[in-house]
Amino acid sequence: MPHQIAVTVRAAVRPGEVGPLKGALTDMADDGRRANLLPFERLPVHFARFVVLDESTDLQGDRIGPSLMFMADVDVPKDRFLREFAQVAADGLDEVFTHCEDYPTTPTVDERVAYLGARMLTPAAAYVNTIGRSLKDVRREAQLRDAIETFLDSRRWSGRSALDVRDAVVEFVAGEPKLAWALKRPERPSLLWRAKEVVHLIGAAALLLALSPLLVAGFPFWLVALRIHELRDKPGAHVPDRHHVAQLEDLEDRLVQNQFSAIGYVKPGWFRRLTLGGVLWLLELSVRHYFNHGRLAGIRTIHFARWVFLDDNRRLIFLSNYDGSLESYTDDFIDKVAWGLNGAFSNGVGYPRTRWLVLGGAKDELAFKNYLRNAQIPTQIWYSAYGGLTAVNLAENSAVRRGLRGTMSAAQAEQWAARL
Amino acid sequence: MGGAAVTGSDGTVEVDDVQGLVAAGYGHLRAACFVLLRIEAASDGGAAPRAWLGRLGDDVTAANGRPDGQAVNVAFTHHGLLGLGLAPEVAGMFSNEFVGGMTVPHSSRILGDSGESAPERWTWGGSATPQVDLLLMLYASDQAALEVLYRSYEPGLAASGLVELQRLDTVDLGDVEPFNFADGISQPMIEGLSPPGRPADTIKAGEFLLGYPNEYGLYTESPVVADDAGPARLLPGRHDGRGRDLGRNGTYLVFRQLAQDVEGFWAFLDEATRRPDGSSDRDAAVGLAAKIVGRWPGGAPLVLSPEVDDPALAKANDFGYFHEDPDGLRCPLGAHIRRSNPRDSLAPRPGTQASIDVGKRHRIIRRGREQAGSGDGATPGSPPPTTGLHFVCLNANIARQFEFIQATWVSNPKFNGLYEEADPLVGTQPGRTFRIPGTPVRTRVTGLPAFVRVEAGGYFFLPGIKAIRYLAAT
Repeated sequence: MPHQIAVTVRAAVRPGEVGPLKGALTDMADDGRRANLLPFERLPVHFARFVVLDESTDLQGDRIGPSLMFMADVDVPKDRFLREFAQVAADGLDEVFTHCEDYPTTPTVDERVAYLGARMLTPAAAYVNTIGRSLKDVRREAQLRDAIETFLDSRRWSGRSALDVRDAVVEFVAGEPKLAWALKRPERPSLLWRAKEVVHLIGAAALLLALSPLLVAGFPFWLVALRIHELRDKPGAHVPDRHHVAQLEDLEDRLVQNQFSAIGYVKPGWFRRLTLGGVLWLLELSVRHYFNHGRLAGIRTIHFARWVFLDDNRRLIFLSNYDGSLESYTDDFIDKVAWGLNGAFSNGVGYPRTRWLVLGGAKDELAFKNYLRNAQIPTQIWYSAYGGLTAVNLAENSAVRRGLRGTMSAAQAEQWAARL
Repeated sequence: MGGAAVTGSDGTVEVDDVQGLVAAGYGHLRAACFVLLRIEAASDGGAAPRAWLGRLGDDVTAANGRPDGQAVNVAFTHHGLLGLGLAPEVAGMFSNEFVGGMTVPHSSRILGDSGESAPERWTWGGSATPQVDLLLMLYASDQAALEVLYRSYEPGLAASGLVELQRLDTVDLGDVEPFNFADGISQPMIEGLSPPGRPADTIKAGEFLLGYPNEYGLYTESPVVADDAGPARLLPGRHDGRGRDLGRNGTYLVFRQLAQDVEGFWAFLDEATRRPDGSSDRDAAVGLAAKIVGRWPGGAPLVLSPEVDDPALAKANDFGYFHEDPDGLRCPLGAHIRRSNPRDSLAPRPGTQASIDVGKRHRIIRRGREQAGSGDGATPGSPPPTTGLHFVCLNANIARQFEFIQATWVSNPKFNGLYEEADPLVGTQPGRTFRIPGTPVRTRVTGLPAFVRVEAGGYFFLPGIKAIRYLAAT
């Protein structure tokens, strides 16, 4: 069972090509050609998207040219993914990237791979709901569940115990050649990868420990500087343009999941950049080693998310794939993890005013919702491999599968049966 | 409800300026009709309807007492506000959902208005029907008095540049709804307006009125008019003293005309609960209906009385789900009342005040009436006395309240971790599944038809009474 990898590519768009590029992407998404031209269905891809970043002027007044970003959450190493992608999506990639700088006119597979590979970015932080849950498992665990549900419907169970039910289900699964895999031990990410992760964790802990005298000594100064910066902040909570919101809403609530893409400038000065860098470093550490099995600080609706610095750390782009409506997503943020949102995003221009980095901010409900809509940009192409399943559904399906193995007490069997 | 001081600054509500429907459903006024009006295009820039509105303003029932014999309330669509001559930049300061209306594709998607319930099929407020501008709500103690009240307005409409699009009649079924279940048991109480209630049901005024702090301790966005604009002096001041507040003491009114297939509902239940020998099992059918609703027909909640329709618990509303019934063995996790008001069952920390507090941000006040059918319901073979519900609810933030409840709770097949089941009672799409948790394992009822169909609807604004005078004077 592989671990999941965040692929991020960014290419500059040729002058005058932003309109045609957006048109090409939107048409592809609308007229159903996407599945032929960019057949993510044939790749080990959980989610994928293309997002066009318009030309922008930074806080110093310098121009940042338009660009195209491609992002995917995949089950194979980046190089292998790019090669497979370049092979099965040759025409689609050519149709899209022809609007970008330096894209060859009639590229070979190798040239496509080289082009994308040279434009790859590393996210500052990347969240995976459950590390190690492959697309293959997502799909077959859903099939397993459907088969078990149908089996349960076909019999009467009154007077039996939960243990009886489980025994019967195990017997049923064992008797179905297509489902027999479910009785085997689930695969885990490779030993090598797991060893690397342990090394990473130890290294990070050692680094923190080594720097701790400095961090402890510097903390009061940082805190004072933070408070001064916060008091000088100018929150920009204007009501978002109605047409902008309508354009975003038009792309939303078509599947069980939704996409969110937002971009913003980091507040000027080294202090905010350093703070944001530190916060995202801690975030990456925590999502990599702790929030990696079903929850991000209590939130169970996010499948994948990532934070990527752009343009020499002047800008940050945030992308996520989440369950339910944007209203419920943002209400969850406000009600449950406002502190986490504040810690990262209050270093961005226009965020509602915070106190001590983590207080206030998102708690200003409408200002926060306005900020998000203002920062959000349309996702021209979005793909979900399992648009009918929530992250909670996936976790439940995995738990149903795991429950087929080993012995259980009566209470455990009751708990297991209640998942169905 | 009288007796509340009219100050507004100490947390009490300015009841003289709030339309009465916010405070009460006028249960004692048993006859009611809702009149949908359109402003004639050639209405002199809205002058004639404004003059009409000015006269109506004197009749509008306020929330400062129990109305005697009759009540009149009025609400407007965004289109209607523009038709009356309200400046577009002011009208545009109302919420996105109100300005866009109920039939924008995104709203249709999250409300589940597709197929048989698609706005293209609606009888009013839809994409193929004339634009609705005003909603005149008339209430009287009996049908004869209602007719007198209606006739006091009807002849003057044409001269005032108003066209009656439809008159929606209602019928009083008492405290039950058309499926024959007790209704209206669980309603939020408005802090500073309603009599004190159960803490979990006592909600900040700002959740139901603009211009007051809501459950976040914040003010909902509301249209502002500059101080110096002439008629603006008619309006109440803004809470922060910056300008006049057109929205203050007003609220958004959501109207959904719902057809209910009462016969189909009970026929499905009968079919689904037949005995092995094929005979009907009335008790089992009622039992399944109770599982679907979450209360017995008489009102007793399944959480407190899982086996029988206990009359002593008919009005019982003081219960939660997490401690009493976490797995839904009494009241299924997907039951209608568990979805529309999850009480203490959702994250964060189910079973605690934190869970209840989150729920308080997603409440609505229901003010619906049953749709009148053509029959009396008594004579065998006569058509039913009702065909469904004129669902009316009030909230200060349509996105966070009505639409959230619809999208995230009621019509969400994934509600509360469920696998694939929309609301078994009011879900508008056929073929739904309903899971009834049980021992040793759940049973599933599959292929539920749509018992409810959306026939029409719209988003309205129910302004404060001063705001009505302002609209009339603009």
